[in-house]
Amino acid sequence: MSTHDEERVKELLRQALKPVEAAPEPSRDLWPAVLQRLGAGPVQVPWFDWALLAGLVGLGAFFPASIPVFLYYL
Amino acid sequence: MNTHTYLRAYVAGIFLPTLVLPLLLTFVLIRLVYEVPIPVEQMLIFPMAVVPLLWGFWNMLWLCSYAHLHQPIGLHGAVLPLLLMPMGATLASSLGVLAIGSHGVVWFGVCSVPYTLIAPMFLAALAGYYLVWKYIVGFLNRVLGIA
Repeated sequence: MSTHDEERVKELLRQALKPVEAAPEPSRDLWPAVLQRLGAGPVQVPWFDWALLAGLVGLGAFFPASIPVFLYYL
Repeated sequence: MNTHTYLRAYVAGIFLPTLVLPLLLTFVLIRLVYEVPIPVEQMLIFPMAVVPLLWGFWNMLWLCSYAHLHQPIGLHGAVLPLLLMPMGATLASSLGVLAIGSHGVVWFGVCSVPYTLIAPMFLAALAGYYLVWKYIVGFLNRVLGIA
């Protein structure tokens, strides 16, 4: 292989393979988010959702005829 | 796991309504075995055929619109009764499942609902759908990797 051919092969390889970039850094520190995720406990249900659930249970208890109607829409 | 996201959204949406199906099928079995003269099959068309389909498509719609609207899934689900209830009532009325009386409506020939209770029941349906979509469908969406 002549020197000209070697240069040609090198040029073709440069065109075919993109240069390796430096390792990309995240825009922010991800470790606090990891710690927060690890330390997260069970899902916290807000009081508003408890109130809605209590209202639903109350309606079903005081008006049982509503239960089959709700099942019809589920 | 970024493939078939809409298929996974559909599956997550129909999960809960299809869990109710065996319960509904027991009513059909009871009618067939004991020859109960109530047309249970007509009552089950809506919950067995329409509701699961709409839940699946509603979850796909949430996935599709979330990128633009960022709407919470609970509120998105709470809107569904606005679509479902008129459809269900219309179908039930046409099949004879729902009868409109002078003091209220009668479901399935036995469940009488006074007109004064229709608005609270509608609000309760919104609340129920809000809770179910927020906690159950939302959980399934997270499990299936689409939320």
